[in-house]
Amino acid sequence: MSNMATTIDTDKSRRKTVLMSSALGYVVIIGISLATIVILSLLLSETPGKTLHYFFLGSFQNLYYFGNMLNSAIPLMFGGLGIVIAMRSNNLNLGGEGQIYLGAFVTTITALALAPLHIIGLIVALVLGATCSGAVSALSGVLKYKWDTSELISSFLLSNALVLIVNYFVTGPFMDPNTNLLATRKVPEVFRLHKILPPSNLSSALFFAIIAVVVVYIYLFKSKGGYELRMFGINPKFALYGGIHKAKNIVLPMFLSGALYGIGGGIAIIGTYYACVKEFSAGMGWNGLAVALIAKNRPFAVIPAAIFFAYIESGAKNAMLHSDVTAELAMIVQAVVFLLVTSEVLYTLYTNKKGKLS
Amino acid sequence: MGIMGTKAVSMSDITKIYTSNGLRANDDVCFDAEIGEIVCLAGENGAGKTTLMKILYGLEAATSGSIHIFGNKTSISSPLDANRLGIGMVHQHFMLIPEYTVAQNVVMGIEPTSWGFIYCEKEANEKVNEVITRHNFSISAEQKVSSLTVGQMQQVEIVKMLYRSVDILILDEPTAVLTEKETAALFSTLENLAAHGKTLILITHKLNEIKQISNRVAIMRKGKLVDICTTAEVTEHDLSRMMVGKPIDLQISKKETTSASEDTIISFSNVTVEKRGQERPLLNKISFSAKSGEILGFAGVGGNGLGILEAVMSGFLPVTRGTIYHKNKDISNCNTRELRKDGLAYVPADRLTIGSALSATVEENIIVSSRRSFIRRGLIDQERVEAYAGELISRYDVRAKPQMPVGTLSGGNIQKLILGREIDQFRDYIVFSEPTWGLDIASSQFVYKKMEELRDSGAAVLLISSNLDEILTVADRILVFYRGEIVAALCCSESETVSKERIGDYMLGLVRQDHDRLTARL
Repeated sequence: MSNMATTIDTDKSRRKTVLMSSALGYVVIIGISLATIVILSLLLSETPGKTLHYFFLGSFQNLYYFGNMLNSAIPLMFGGLGIVIAMRSNNLNLGGEGQIYLGAFVTTITALALAPLHIIGLIVALVLGATCSGAVSALSGVLKYKWDTSELISSFLLSNALVLIVNYFVTGPFMDPNTNLLATRKVPEVFRLHKILPPSNLSSALFFAIIAVVVVYIYLFKSKGGYELRMFGINPKFALYGGIHKAKNIVLPMFLSGALYGIGGGIAIIGTYYACVKEFSAGMGWNGLAVALIAKNRPFAVIPAAIFFAYIESGAKNAMLHSDVTAELAMIVQAVVFLLVTSEVLYTLYTNKKGKLS
Repeated sequence: MGIMGTKAVSMSDITKIYTSNGLRANDDVCFDAEIGEIVCLAGENGAGKTTLMKILYGLEAATSGSIHIFGNKTSISSPLDANRLGIGMVHQHFMLIPEYTVAQNVVMGIEPTSWGFIYCEKEANEKVNEVITRHNFSISAEQKVSSLTVGQMQQVEIVKMLYRSVDILILDEPTAVLTEKETAALFSTLENLAAHGKTLILITHKLNEIKQISNRVAIMRKGKLVDICTTAEVTEHDLSRMMVGKPIDLQISKKETTSASEDTIISFSNVTVEKRGQERPLLNKISFSAKSGEILGFAGVGGNGLGILEAVMSGFLPVTRGTIYHKNKDISNCNTRELRKDGLAYVPADRLTIGSALSATVEENIIVSSRRSFIRRGLIDQERVEAYAGELISRYDVRAKPQMPVGTLSGGNIQKLILGREIDQFRDYIVFSEPTWGLDIASSQFVYKKMEELRDSGAAVLLISSNLDEILTVADRILVFYRGEIVAALCCSESETVSKERIGDYMLGLVRQDHDRLTARL
């Protein structure tokens, strides 16, 4: 305790040090991940030059690939934001897989039912999708508040069940009889978002994602609700001491987290897929979690983190199409990124070098 | 060897700069201790005493400077190194396993064994008992640590060091957790050790103890060594002036309170708190009332109900039976949130886990219970928050900036921050629990002055404290807790009856005030 307070270094230079070490950490992470790609390509590919070319540059080769890469980052942004909100309140929502799928399904069938209502129908559909996913996630929050059940486990298990239930509806009562696809009917034209980078799939959903980032940022850092949520996340005892509501800050963040996943699912439908295809969203929930971890729970950092994740995935896809590697390459690289990001060590490399921290 | 040969410890030109925040915790400090001497290392919080000793014990590395132990230049990079050189340290918080016996705790890590791997209980007990009898400790090797008092646990820590045959023993605020009697026992032990040729270094900021025990005293202020002097040649007043840099005045006015004259703000009526599976209630039929314009002190040794009382008053623990009134409103079953709305202002004993959020910024910590008042058009008005935080930290002399994480502040500054926050928004009563725990004289003074101001402005100030000096200095009325009950109520204006020894007797359950006298003052 008594080793402080003689001369206080300026706040600015301290912040600069922290910022630099974190930037350095990211450089190391990106460097190692890219090195992994190079090494794996050399090992696994007969034509490593071609593989690497398509992996790194494929996404920038034409507007089609580039737009699709950005498009696949959109659901990751929503998922990432969902996790950011949950983690800031010290809750963890592992039910993203089910919630994104449920949101997409509910949005689809509502949109189909409300086709004559045009824009109002669209808003109702998205809100309903978000609410359903939010409610499922909030249920885990209620269980945690009432009986101290781990929200981590309950959200994960609920989500697994949800996927199966939605599968039943998509391939059963709501399946489109006119195609051979395991999918619902397509939402009417009026509900579909504009393509902004033809011929790619990139739609105006990107703007929705950016708006969501801004809204989440303002909520977390500028509003009273967000302040309470963050304080509860940092130290629940302190929050209670300050008169902050306990139930509200377990259930509400979980609801918002699920709702963001739900909207992500709904927007993927109206922006890209138009119909709820069986398990079209598999993996998006988990990747959202990874994106939030890379972003270190900062809303604005979710955008580059999601794009980086999508870049690696689409790079692997391109390499797979044009060369001889398999999709597992992307998975391995993503796993490496994940590992590096979650190990805090790299961020403190710079600060630790100059001697022991107290 | 020259002159160095006579010194047990000689630290020269020690400088320690923390790279994480650029603090100069030690600035060119020269410190020494002779063989068989008791040296006190005194100074305010954040003066750098603990840092200096951590360097000596190998827990911190000095940025520059040199250390000689018994005349040999050494580098100490870990506590193991320190032990090898004969240096031991007893920390403020004990590191003992309660389920183990004294001997098992003492020999841990260097157990006597037969055939190289089988733990030899008998030999351990014998060896440890030998150390215990040699230095007249009041424990025995076979006792379980969980059955010991705090003072005895400290003895175990000291024995642990002696068993490792250290010649230089550092004690970090050894009396902070002890009662008066235990302190006396500790001091006679220390004198005995010094007579056996051990060198003792005590970190402390209690002036009377420095005078009582040390041969020499080293005073630090703001990372620098102010002076090392022979204790007999300086007065307590000199010491305090050297520590704080200016003379201080420990006088707080007293106010006579009579039960009927003032308004009752908070009153407890037969409040009982029980814990399932525990026969004796944690609080047993507690009744008292706190009046407007008085400082009501609650005294007691740890574990006798003060902590429970604090939790009840702050809404963290529900009462089993009985009622609590705030003026005429029943607040018995309100949680903290409801109490806050009702006007609770509360400085918790646990300032790091309850009173603050360490990774949140100073301003975020400041607005926690007044957050509603900063809302403008649905959002938190950042400008006003910043202005308010800046104003509060300058008014309470918190050395920090609004955007700094609270975790980077020193303990004393964190406490000032909490005090400022709570005092600034209080309505008619305020609860302080151990408000000066770990604070230096100047900061403590500041806290007492604030309490006095609050009282004079008509507040009911409830002070829960295990520090007797503090209670005696500031409280107008004192309620003494023993085993969950109030055993004595004392009015401080009748100065002849309130001596430290008398309260000590009540606290330790040796005597009990007679019933009528007690109830008349509740």
